[in-house]
Amino acid sequence: MRWLAGLSLEFQLAVRLAALYVVATLIGVAALVYQAYQTADSLGDLDLRRRAVDLAALVTLGDDAKPQFSLSSKLAGVYESSADIFLFAIRDPNGQLIAASNSDVRNLVSSWPVASDEPNYFRLEEFGRTEQNYHGLTMRVDSGAGTLSITIARAANVSEFVHTILREFVFDVAWTIPLIVFATLAIGILAIRRGLQPLREISAQAAAINPASLTVRLRQENLPAEIGPLVEAMNHALDRLEKGFSVQRQFTANAAHELRTPLAVVSAGLDQLQGNGELAKLKLDVARMSRLVEQLLRVARLDAIALDVSATVDLAAVAAEVVEYMAPLAVARGVSLAAQGVDHAVFIKGSRYGIEDAIRNLVENGLSHTRAGTEVVVAVDEEAFVSVADRGGGVRVEDRDRIFERFWRARGAGGGGAGLGLAIVKEIMKAHHGSVCVEDNLGGGAVFILQFPKADAFQGSVADDRVKLKR
Amino acid sequence: MRLLLIEDEPRLVELLAAALGRAGFVIDSVGTCADGREALSLMPYDAAILDLGLPDGDGLALLAETRSSGNCVPILILTARDGVEDRVGGLDSGADDYLVKPFATEELIARVKALLRRPGGALGTVLQAGNVTFDTVGRDVKVDRKSITPPRREIAILEHLMRRVGRVVPKALLEEKLYGMGDELESNAIPVHIHHLRRKLLEAGASAEIHTVRGVGYLLCENKS
Repeated sequence: MRWLAGLSLEFQLAVRLAALYVVATLIGVAALVYQAYQTADSLGDLDLRRRAVDLAALVTLGDDAKPQFSLSSKLAGVYESSADIFLFAIRDPNGQLIAASNSDVRNLVSSWPVASDEPNYFRLEEFGRTEQNYHGLTMRVDSGAGTLSITIARAANVSEFVHTILREFVFDVAWTIPLIVFATLAIGILAIRRGLQPLREISAQAAAINPASLTVRLRQENLPAEIGPLVEAMNHALDRLEKGFSVQRQFTANAAHELRTPLAVVSAGLDQLQGNGELAKLKLDVARMSRLVEQLLRVARLDAIALDVSATVDLAAVAAEVVEYMAPLAVARGVSLAAQGVDHAVFIKGSRYGIEDAIRNLVENGLSHTRAGTEVVVAVDEEAFVSVADRGGGVRVEDRDRIFERFWRARGAGGGGAGLGLAIVKEIMKAHHGSVCVEDNLGGGAVFILQFPKADAFQGSVADDRVKLKR
Repeated sequence: MRLLLIEDEPRLVELLAAALGRAGFVIDSVGTCADGREALSLMPYDAAILDLGLPDGDGLALLAETRSSGNCVPILILTARDGVEDRVGGLDSGADDYLVKPFATEELIARVKALLRRPGGALGTVLQAGNVTFDTVGRDVKVDRKSITPPRREIAILEHLMRRVGRVVPKALLEEKLYGMGDELESNAIPVHIHHLRRKLLEAGASAEIHTVRGVGYLLCENKS
């Protein structure tokens, strides 16, 4: 039954149960039919013996004190109309024939011994005028005319009696068997469904487990004995998984430290040197390497640790802070950075750190693409979206999905990017059940839009009492 | 000006000590929490630079301990951790500033100087950006050694900007600092002051410039060119 392997357990059990019922029913019916034939055979034998006794009763002692045989008018009709079906011969204890149904029988029995104490069964193959097969017996019967030896046989192919019984059985009884089979099968399937219910519940619980909810364990109470060990094993696996994740977290923190300190050394070393253009290039290379390490660590962290997006975050405050933090870089590059809509709080559910990271990546991207002397604008909208607009070359329509892939960089794009920034943004937005997209900025350039799910409950109630904690 | 550098990476210690030395500081360096604790209790340093990942413990613990013992030496944290919890944790434990590794040496020196210029700090009272100087005691502004005399509020704005050279000063903070609760505040009061201040600096030939970060605030930085 390998073909069943991929199908649902319920279906597999139902198919097996159905197959079992069909086989059991076939065996049952076969046994019944066999039993019916057995019964019919023994009933046939009984019938022959009764007929022998009936025939014996018709033998009387005649006036000459010799046994005489005469069929009553009713029986004569029966035996004459079925002369080829029933054969009989009646002999006295000395083997002297008293009567026979026809001459073939007379010739046959003339050489046979007379009946002994036990009935003597026999078969005749292709006998007589009609060349039929016969079953018969020879038995001793006591009658009014003394002891008689009666031989009686019936054509084997006319088991009308048996057929009648079978027909009755089939039509009166057997048709209920499939009904019973279907009824029990239906009950069986219902029972299977009921029985599998805890399994379905466990599946639903297991489906809800993700890296953010690793502390959840499957319920172990009230489970069938077969599933209990599986669930327990699963919970143990989750324990190990949780441990693994915490090791991974620890590793990320360690890796950050291990990579950053040597980079700080190289950077400080270069800062000590006096030199030519080559040194400036080296410094740029180190800065680029630092950035790449930074971003790789962020990607690793995003992969390893699901962001906790349950905190209440003010998008406006985060956007303002990012703009504040990035403004010196903008000035150094000869471009402006501005924030819009950051006077009013826009509360959403999310991770402050993640959102800060997402906006910062977009601002970095905008600052590196916008033309000298232009402005990059970070705007926060009350509808819970944040846009970052630049005045650069824009993003071609066919690249608008691909720019969010890891390590994707526009053709001919030189400079510092590792192609991870936008991928990080996408990951962060996914964790927030939000989205990021890029469109054309009116008047040239690109505008990246972060759309967050709204947290309506917070809107308005706390707005405008935001306390700005700036150092 | 004496600084304590608590850092366990010898190469970094060597390089930072050299750079800070060239900037005019005297550097003592130690490599463990225990030595750092001892040094801080023995010497009145003007500032300390503290690495968080030390071989015999967490720098944050040392920081908290130092603060709870009543030592107010300005402390700048160097850290390889950049999680928001780490940053907030550092500032909550009483750090005055933090830098995430890797960093530019210039940045470190600028931050240390800023720490020393804070009220009560060791670096005197004269703030500097390019050829602009600001004496916080005499409230005297000089561009290329020539005094200029902006009105009181413009001087106050300039002081805030010069205390945070190269970093954004939020407009909300300026409003808060310059105007009392009862003062009538015109929505464009700060921008008007900035406009005037900017023109005065330009006319005096200043090599530092005030940049507007629209929607957020202003920053003053030295002209690179």
